[in-house]
Amino acid sequence: MKTILVAMSTALVLGACVRMPRDAFVVTPEELAQREMETRRYDGIKEGELLVASEEVLQDLGFNLENSDTKLGVLTASKQRSATSTGGILAAMFLGWGGASKDQVIRVCLVVRPVQATSGSAPAESHFVRITFQRIVRRFDNSHVGQTLNKEELYEIFFAKLSKSVFIEAQRI
Amino acid sequence: MKRELIPVTVLAACLLPGCAEHLNQRMFDENEQTQLEKRSYESRIFDTADKEKVMRGVISTLQDLSFVVERADFFLGTVSATRLGRNYQLRMTVSVRPKGSTQTIVRANAQFNVQPVEDPKAYQDFFSSLEKSLFLTAEVGE
Repeated sequence: MKTILVAMSTALVLGACVRMPRDAFVVTPEELAQREMETRRYDGIKEGELLVASEEVLQDLGFNLENSDTKLGVLTASKQRSATSTGGILAAMFLGWGGASKDQVIRVCLVVRPVQATSGSAPAESHFVRITFQRIVRRFDNSHVGQTLNKEELYEIFFAKLSKSVFIEAQRI
Repeated sequence: MKRELIPVTVLAACLLPGCAEHLNQRMFDENEQTQLEKRSYESRIFDTADKEKVMRGVISTLQDLSFVVERADFFLGTVSATRLGRNYQLRMTVSVRPKGSTQTIVRANAQFNVQPVEDPKAYQDFFSSLEKSLFLTAEVGE
């Protein structure tokens, strides 16, 4: 009880202290690198077909569709999974440490965009697919931590599955 | 009274009197800025009537800024997105609406954790990124 109260008071005080980063709305070089990692170009396929194939791959990966707008080429999906590790469980059980990860919500946002929107000379059936993986981890003390995932392997695996699904090799941007 | 309840009582005594007083302020985000001032820095007008192009540009800009789009609705012209940091959550809603027959007005509003973003520079940076994405220059809205 006492620990929770101290944690709550600290969270209140600290929450008020966190300030918005000065460059929150300026695209940084790191974000440009992230864009390259998250994007692939597919030629010779209609936007609708690419969107349907993407949705199927997300379903294959266990995601539930949350929102979509086919006119804008947007899909959002999520799934809840465990985030525990043996060490974390032992620390929570025997040391009372609440900072270990308990479970997580993994969210994805996938956007299909015609290449023509960026480059007028591109063929009509060329599209960029950009996917972003995020996760919100809940700890044993019920606090949450969120992050955008920047492990290249995740994106490689997703695009390999999508390429296989549409029988088209993806190109890096 | 149990000893562990003392900090709760002290905390409640400090926080509760402010609740009623600040409810209106929190509900309507009242501060020294007028509604007109807010609209002015939260909006930009683009010389295009292509709503789809502008909305796709908004989505692309938000993605470049590490936001994850949560909802997009072409009919309403709205896009909602969230950016997650180590100890913060930055949420943004952008609406795109026609202005006359040749222009489009884009309005954005953001909140950082539990606070509304009221720094005009933040919106200026966002619209500057959007201008680059759309290859268009915007004028200050409304």
